[in-house]
Amino acid sequence: MSRGVHRFAVLVACATFFLIIAGANVTSHDAGLATSDWPLSNGQFFPKMVGNLFWEHGHRLVATSVGLLTIVLAILLQLRERRAWIRRLGWIALAGVIAQGLLGGLTVKLNLPLAVSAAHATLAQLFFLTTVSIAVFTSRSWVAPGLSINDEPGAVSMRALCVVALAAILAQLVLGATLRHSATWDQPLPTPLLLAHIGGAVVVTLILGVTVMTSLLRYREEKYLVRPALLAGVLLAVQLFLGLAAYITRAASPNDPQPLNPMIFVTVSHVACGALVFATTIVLTLRLFRVLRVERQTYVLAPA
Amino acid sequence: MLSKRARFCLGLIAVLSLLSLASSCGGPKTEEDTGGPTAKTFKPKGNEGTISGKVSYNGAAPEAKKIDTSADAACTAKSPNLTSEEWVVKDGKVANSFVYIKDGTLADGSKVGDWSFESSKTPVTLDQNGCHYKPHVLGVMVKQEITITNSDATTHNIHFTPKNNPDWNQQQANGAAALKHQLNVAEVLVPVKCNQHPWMKAYIGVLKHPFFAVSGDDGSFTIKGVPPGKYTVIAWHEGGVNGTEQKMEVTVPASGAATADFTFGASAELLGQPSSLQMLPAIEFPMLSKK
Repeated sequence: MSRGVHRFAVLVACATFFLIIAGANVTSHDAGLATSDWPLSNGQFFPKMVGNLFWEHGHRLVATSVGLLTIVLAILLQLRERRAWIRRLGWIALAGVIAQGLLGGLTVKLNLPLAVSAAHATLAQLFFLTTVSIAVFTSRSWVAPGLSINDEPGAVSMRALCVVALAAILAQLVLGATLRHSATWDQPLPTPLLLAHIGGAVVVTLILGVTVMTSLLRYREEKYLVRPALLAGVLLAVQLFLGLAAYITRAASPNDPQPLNPMIFVTVSHVACGALVFATTIVLTLRLFRVLRVERQTYVLAPA
Repeated sequence: MLSKRARFCLGLIAVLSLLSLASSCGGPKTEEDTGGPTAKTFKPKGNEGTISGKVSYNGAAPEAKKIDTSADAACTAKSPNLTSEEWVVKDGKVANSFVYIKDGTLADGSKVGDWSFESSKTPVTLDQNGCHYKPHVLGVMVKQEITITNSDATTHNIHFTPKNNPDWNQQQANGAAALKHQLNVAEVLVPVKCNQHPWMKAYIGVLKHPFFAVSGDDGSFTIKGVPPGKYTVIAWHEGGVNGTEQKMEVTVPASGAATADFTFGASAELLGQPSSLQMLPAIEFPMLSKK
């Protein structure tokens, strides 16, 4: 474990978060097809960044930077990391960012088909999951957490609860991505997908709410677990508020002559906050898996 | 080897990713649409007439909305006071309404759809000028050539987003050669937009026959060369998901003229599905309508 590698992994995770924000801006500005070229924009590496080309080409430049950072991270892990499975995770991250770039190019060349665009947005979250995980695994607190907790026998398994919460958030992110890419700013959102996303919000609120509350009640003395749990809870509340605001601004958007800043700001914030809810839940889940000891009960048959 | 739990997690992630891939299916029709192989080719008999009229707006027309072009200095320089063109109404008369024969019966008892019509050889031009399209609404016949020009000192991308024809997106730099495109399936109307300047919108009506017109600034239109018969004439105007329509039955006498005046207004019926979730209250936030 190297402190430098961990810091670099955190940098890559932060850069990935910034990339998600840049990508969300492309969708909210309806800039995905501002150029029909890929990987160049209007035939140039540095085109004049005017109009929506600023967002589309800016997204490509940020993505290129994240790609380069991921290459460096993968090499650093091979050189400085002893654990083979984390070294492999470095290669997985690199494969992920390459696949993500190719999906981005594919969606431009195919004129943004919903399936490819939604897959591009989904893989973005999976890549974010990978980079956040690498940052957690390379941290000092992961190598030497300084605590070990026995799970309460007979109670709900916190590990299972966290995994279910993560799966629910990921499914909700996929739904949200599909919803955002199914209609541009000047078209109404499709009602079935919108209802599914609202239903998903209820499910995530219930599952993550229970997970956060249970974590806070069971491990109230352990800052290692309380901090990500508390942060996940606060971000969930902010995300629900942003979701409502996104609905209101987005529903009004088709009557506007162009994508307006309030709608863009709120919808991009909603995407960004969703990614943060995901990231904090990943941290909580991984830390729980690290410190929670599950006692396996042995049953002995009584002699006849 | 991965543990059973790890395999389950990976499988779950793969399934969720595939969910998004499976969320859309189907595609646009791409077959040519010129009246079918068995249709007789229409030939004028010399007794054709005209359908003409005016398109009006009943009540106070919606005000044009100011467009912020500051994202591209070339647009601001050429069109400093650009406004939306959704409703262009002057003295109660509506411009940019697409008027066309939807169907009907000719004097000999045949239907309009029974005939095939030779596509016009004259290209129509769609110009990107001042960061908006000129004309804003136009009509073409199936397979008729559309010439796209860029008169601006900036790069545009012209993006056709039809439902029945293939999607088409091409960038066009200032001074670049004109682009040429044609639509092979009838469609009323094909939206056109520029993703670099998202306020830029145009609409193209694509029909198998030549019986259409677009209302001018004074709201007037004339459809020429209409064979005598009884027709359903539609006046279409943009707005909502698929626009708004007014319908009228019109009888065209031999070598005569028929009149069809249409009136739009605040109560005009919107086509297609309404704005997204109607069960939630429509909450107005005045501060959000300002940029």
